[in-house]
Amino acid sequence: MLHLPVLAVVISLLGAYLIPLIYHFRRNLASVVAVGISGLALCFSAATAVYVSRYGAFSYLLGMWSIPWGIEVYVDRMSAFMMLVISSITFLVMLYAMEDVRHELTEAPRKWYWTLNLLLLASMMGVVMAGDLFNLFVFVEISSIAACGTISVKGDRRAVEATFRYLVLSTLGSGALLLSIALLYMVTGNLNMTYISGEIQKAAFLYPKNLYAALTFMVVGFGVKSALFPLHSWLPDAHSAAPAPSSAVLSGLVVKIYIFALFQVLSRVFGPVIAGIPVETVVLLMATMAVVLGSVLAMGQKELKRMLAYSTVAQVGYVFMGLALGADRAVAGGMMHILTHALMKSSLFLAAGSVLYKTGKKNITDLAGLGPRMPVTMGVFSLAAASMIGVPLLGGFVSKWYLALGATDAGKSFYALIIIVSSFLTALYFLPPVISAFFGKQPDDSVGKGIDEAPAVMLVPMVILSIALLGVGLFPSLVLGLLGYRG
Amino acid sequence: MGIIDILYDNFHYLVACLLFLIGFHTMLTHSNLIKKIMGMNIMDTAVFLLFISSGFVRGGKAPIVGPGTEGPYVNPIPSALILTGIVIAVSITAFALSLIVTLYKQYGTLDADKIAELRTKER
Repeated sequence: MLHLPVLAVVISLLGAYLIPLIYHFRRNLASVVAVGISGLALCFSAATAVYVSRYGAFSYLLGMWSIPWGIEVYVDRMSAFMMLVISSITFLVMLYAMEDVRHELTEAPRKWYWTLNLLLLASMMGVVMAGDLFNLFVFVEISSIAACGTISVKGDRRAVEATFRYLVLSTLGSGALLLSIALLYMVTGNLNMTYISGEIQKAAFLYPKNLYAALTFMVVGFGVKSALFPLHSWLPDAHSAAPAPSSAVLSGLVVKIYIFALFQVLSRVFGPVIAGIPVETVVLLMATMAVVLGSVLAMGQKELKRMLAYSTVAQVGYVFMGLALGADRAVAGGMMHILTHALMKSSLFLAAGSVLYKTGKKNITDLAGLGPRMPVTMGVFSLAAASMIGVPLLGGFVSKWYLALGATDAGKSFYALIIIVSSFLTALYFLPPVISAFFGKQPDDSVGKGIDEAPAVMLVPMVILSIALLGVGLFPSLVLGLLGYRG
Repeated sequence: MGIIDILYDNFHYLVACLLFLIGFHTMLTHSNLIKKIMGMNIMDTAVFLLFISSGFVRGGKAPIVGPGTEGPYVNPIPSALILTGIVIAVSITAFALSLIVTLYKQYGTLDADKIAELRTKER
């Protein structure tokens, strides 16, 4: 048995509660320790990914209690991949946050910021490796509260209001989730995913209505939390009001782990009976609306971070689309889009954050003429924007390419068309800020005086994200190999 | 077995459904923030009731097994799980109430509609 995946969660949880203590004695040490812990979690995840790609999926029994009595942690290629994505992005964003929170947060909530971030890291990794439904639920709840905390920590009224709405809707989602788990437990008598799926065929014959209800509540519960299109109304405010590093983690990772959890539950629990229920059709319809209307809504935004948040609504649609299409290459594309979107969106939010750090301006028009003054920041922004549109050789192109191929494989070429149309729409709202940053001019020349590049500790993570984005675009086979696909 | 008997036997599920609807309705339609949180708690309680009652065995005893005790026992797993569920609900409620306090200090009202109005003016 390999202890590393569980240890990654445990050290993050322990670290989360040690940070306030460390902060009390050594103020400057707290952030370093927090970043160090997330770096350690990254090492553990990387080792797990190597182990899984060499020896295959494994399950870990906590306290050596055998299933179905004990708690099982199950790590396959996909969960290992998700762990790696989660821990690496969190590590880079926390590195960036070391400098940024000094500027963006007031003194009092700053020590809690690291606690919240580490809690979020631990719970996200817990969600992707949970082997039974109730643990999944508990980790989902921890991540919801921690995610809300990373928004409201900013303390201004806009952030608090957005957090409240996020909290209410995500509690609605978790109510639905718990109801679904209760219904599943009632008809199958188990909480372990493997055991439920062993019982589910009998249950589908005896109590089909319970199963339909459980499935519906499951999709709605995770749908609200991952902002699937008609249920997205909380996302733009929450993600744009948060401090920049939190926005990067929220948009890049948090919404995606719920999609992944839903996918896991649908394939591992409902697997044997799902063929007779048109759940993919519903999800595909919602994903299509997300992809098109999310982009349309993003066009109307004046504020940069709000535009990025609406673009997340659209990109979540791609991931849902890939996983719902079901063909091998579509699923690979969907999983890959989780990675590439995490890279793109976090670098975009971090770039927006460093513009805010240096200029204090947050509208799209304020970017005019910033290109030459902040070349690295705007370079990162432009690269990520290009990848978002789907320019070849960048990560975003590869994942969209696989999504489109997968749509054709599944015999639903219509969705390939949707992907092309949406890429065009994406270009319409991502090109103007890039063009105006490099070729535009501020109306008043004195405005941009004295603005230069952000500090190195903020630039380094952004540059690493961009390099990773290029790397994924140039060598997609590495990522596909990690996921276990050939070709 | 008539419909009355079925309803009587599954009375707790019926109550759970009713509570869920009441909570859901309160949470989404009332504009008072405190009432929203109340609705949220009623909804959570409904789910807890449903889960707990699924483990109930008529005439069952508490599952403390020692020498000389014999069944039937009530299923303890739902109760244990719901204990965790209650802890989660309490922490969410506490967090939400603290947010409400901050909102009241900064906007001077507890009405979600008025807050939304003030917010759109700011933008």
